[in-house]
Amino acid sequence: MITVNNLVKTFGDFYAVDHVSFDVKKGEIFGFLGPNGAGKSTTIRILCGLMDPTSGSATVNGLEVGRQSEEIKKFIGYMSQKFSLYDDLKVEENIDFFSGIYGVPKDKREERKDYVLKMAGIVEKRGEKTAMLAGGWKQRLALGCAILHQPPILFLDEPTSGVDPIARRSFWDLIYELSDAGSTIMVSTHYMEEAEYCHRLALMYRGKLVALGSPKELKDAMNVKSMEEVFIQKIEEEEALLK
Amino acid sequence: MNYRRTKAMARKEFLHIIRDPRSLIMALAVPMMMLLLFSYALSLDVDRIPTIVYDQDASPQSRELTARFAGSPYFEIISYAHSYAEVEKAIDRGDCIVAVVFPPDFAHHLRASKPTSVQILLDGSDSNTGSIALSYAESVTNGYSMEILHRTPPVDARIRVWYNTDLKSHNFIIPGLVAVILMIIASLLTSLTIAREWENGTMEQLLSTPLRPVEIVVGKLAAFFLLGTADSIIAIVSAVYVFDVPLRGNVLFLAITTGVFLVGVLTWGLFISSISGTQLMAYQIGLMTSFLPGFLLSGFIYAIDNMPVPIQVVTHIVPARYFITILRAIFLKGVGPEIVWQELLFLVIYAIAVAAVATKKLKKKVA
Amino acid sequence: MWERIRVIITKEFRQTLREPRMRMMVIMPPLFQLLIFGFAVNLDVENSKIAWMDMDRTPESRELRDKFDASIYFQITSEPRSEEEVRSLLDHGEVVGVVRVLPGFARDLKRGKQTAVQVLVDGTNSNNASIVTGYASRIISSVGVPAGMVAPVEARSRVWFNPELKSRYYFIPGVLMNIIALITLMLTAMAVVREKEIGTMEQLLVTPIRPVELILGKTLPFVLIGLFDVFLATGVALLVFHVPFRGSIVTLVAASIVFLMTTLGAGLFISTISRTQQQALMSSFFFFMPTFMLSGFSFPIRNMPVAVQYLTLLNPQRHFIEILRGIFLKGEGFYVLWPQTLALFVIGVLVLGGSTLRFHRTIE
Repeated sequence: MITVNNLVKTFGDFYAVDHVSFDVKKGEIFGFLGPNGAGKSTTIRILCGLMDPTSGSATVNGLEVGRQSEEIKKFIGYMSQKFSLYDDLKVEENIDFFSGIYGVPKDKREERKDYVLKMAGIVEKRGEKTAMLAGGWKQRLALGCAILHQPPILFLDEPTSGVDPIARRSFWDLIYELSDAGSTIMVSTHYMEEAEYCHRLALMYRGKLVALGSPKELKDAMNVKSMEEVFIQKIEEEEALLK
Repeated sequence: MNYRRTKAMARKEFLHIIRDPRSLIMALAVPMMMLLLFSYALSLDVDRIPTIVYDQDASPQSRELTARFAGSPYFEIISYAHSYAEVEKAIDRGDCIVAVVFPPDFAHHLRASKPTSVQILLDGSDSNTGSIALSYAESVTNGYSMEILHRTPPVDARIRVWYNTDLKSHNFIIPGLVAVILMIIASLLTSLTIAREWENGTMEQLLSTPLRPVEIVVGKLAAFFLLGTADSIIAIVSAVYVFDVPLRGNVLFLAITTGVFLVGVLTWGLFISSISGTQLMAYQIGLMTSFLPGFLLSGFIYAIDNMPVPIQVVTHIVPARYFITILRAIFLKGVGPEIVWQELLFLVIYAIAVAAVATKKLKKKVA
Repeated sequence: MWERIRVIITKEFRQTLREPRMRMMVIMPPLFQLLIFGFAVNLDVENSKIAWMDMDRTPESRELRDKFDASIYFQITSEPRSEEEVRSLLDHGEVVGVVRVLPGFARDLKRGKQTAVQVLVDGTNSNNASIVTGYASRIISSVGVPAGMVAPVEARSRVWFNPELKSRYYFIPGVLMNIIALITLMLTAMAVVREKEIGTMEQLLVTPIRPVELILGKTLPFVLIGLFDVFLATGVALLVFHVPFRGSIVTLVAASIVFLMTTLGAGLFISTISRTQQQALMSSFFFFMPTFMLSGFSFPIRNMPVAVQYLTLLNPQRHFIEILRGIFLKGEGFYVLWPQTLALFVIGVLVLGGSTLRFHRTIE
């Protein structure tokens, strides 16, 4: 579904994304792990067409990133780090807006709206101002707005940051639901325990891809019990290489 | 350009406007506020200039000339001084603008057929009032002079004023005010909208969707155009029915030109919004490029012909300049496209050009 | 306490001046406004275009025409031959007035009969029209003085403070005030609201900082920025526009500080009633426009309805303009300007005090 080939993004001398290559299979939940500033958001934004790569290439759903970015946007849903919803609009109005933007067919609009409201658990809140929602609800609403048009691919940039652990768990239940239904989902996070939820992972550190594989594969390869340990070891290796 | 996406965008913008009642009310109240200010409080008319007279002669002749001053609508004698110090103090304190001082030998000289003079002291800090006051003071004195010479009334200047027979500065100012009001709304509201989306992060979200820049611009434009139209109607209806400004031309033509002007200034605001990083910056640039030129360089109050030539050249790119000419022509002169078609053409070209630039310059990438 | 205030001031300065764009904003708008106002705004009416229609064609009528031609106030740009042409010239706005000498002008003049000259004026710009009529009257009223003779009564005029009657000298003090007021007002309002919007305000309030310290920390930087702009603007006024400066710098600085109290207080107040930056900006504008218009910067206060004139006593901008004109043009000091300064001080204390109280309350 997604292929990334030697992707590079520089800001001046700084390599935000440093020759990254990987691919994501259809229906996978692909996790993008790493500390802040590792290059996760930048990579996702390039794939969504929000930034141009400095060099390298990528395809999304068979379409070329860069040249065919406008086409790509029709098949993806994107949830930015700030869950960018319009605070002064009601919940319903936000949904209606994104519905219109994503071109959800007329006969499906009500149906999709009801689905999203239910999925997010905010049916009774549909008439409320979005500003009034607590963090966890906003997050779910943002996700809902991103899937109105049933995109085959979802990009979620740190969707669980700042949300309490229980809400995080139930959010991941949602992600699983979507994956079971056939969506390909690329999620970035800096929470190590969430790594366990992914089918496959890419570990990023300082712009470089330092590990790639399923959680089990990675843990076995390094002979450790938790993703956190995988991560720490990998970082230490990287630091050593730099010296 | 996809109709559905644009419509969704326009609808969202409209909701934003409605959901901020404070800004909305202020936006609609601005026309009324400006109209009230300019109709009742602000006037450049010069009349009843406070004058003090220091008559050291106290003769029938000096009193005669004083009476001329008193009889002129331009002067209002507020007191008679008894010393030069009093005169100086009055001017210093700003109690009077003009002082008329008669020398003690005024009548004596006149009776001896020798030339004499009257001293006119003028507080020049307000140069506008000052110039006019000076002119009229000299006129009055000249007139008196002539009479003495010929004992016949002098040549009379028969003044006939066209288009605005009472010289009501009202009628001069209010049509121009409509233009200024619209420029204010444009620079205030539209200049913030795109910058705000960038600041809040929603622009990034929008750019990840199939939404195209031209749809963003047109969608926002549509919503603000509605608001601008509401303001225009308020301004024009008030002008005609509350402030009695005559509307002698064609209303349809008025509507069309107003619409074209609106599109131009609103799109300019959008352009500024998209190139400014923050709302504060957008606002400042908006003020500098929309409001200030609209107010100062459009011929609204300060006649373009009186400006230094380089500035006159600059006024050629201020859309409000052309719009004001059109408005005055429609309101006061009762003429139409046959006279002002060039101005209208400029406004059309301006609107199209700015719309094109705004769309092109709208950043489609985050970095 | 001073330490905390100092820290806030440092933060404000850093935030405001870090971005080159913001730095520009402290310098560009004032300069820009000064330059535009200074160069563009000119109420002085010179070289007004008029049309001349001589239906008499005598030496006397030509002499009158010469007088108009020679005057710096007029330039004769066309000589229409018919009513149609006259109408067209005025309709198109090509001339401001048409002077028409009727047949029989010279004859009546020689016979000592009263005669008249017609002046058709385009009234759309009534201010200009008044000025033009004034000058025209003046020229026409001097007809009849044989060359070489001296008029019995001459008006000897002396113009105080602004001998060349340059409108620039009148405006620029007003513009100075405008610039400073707008910038300090807006920056103050925005500085507080922005923190509210981003959420860092809450952060600050959790610290030991007290509201008073927060306010001082947030407003003092803008006093400094405001003063910087005063110097910048004064410099330009003096060097570029040659506006006289007859008073003392100390008076200027002192008066500016008192004035800044009022604008900063107003900015603070606006920040307490606004939730978003947009609201803050709209409210600033809504407050600033009328106070600016009614400050006497261009439209004399004397021309306003009496009730409004009294109202303007509450307007700090009115007082500051009087002070500025007094300092620049009249060379006055506090000896004369104390009433205005006192008014500013009182208003400043009230506004600043009121806003501070309100700020306190909105925090709780």
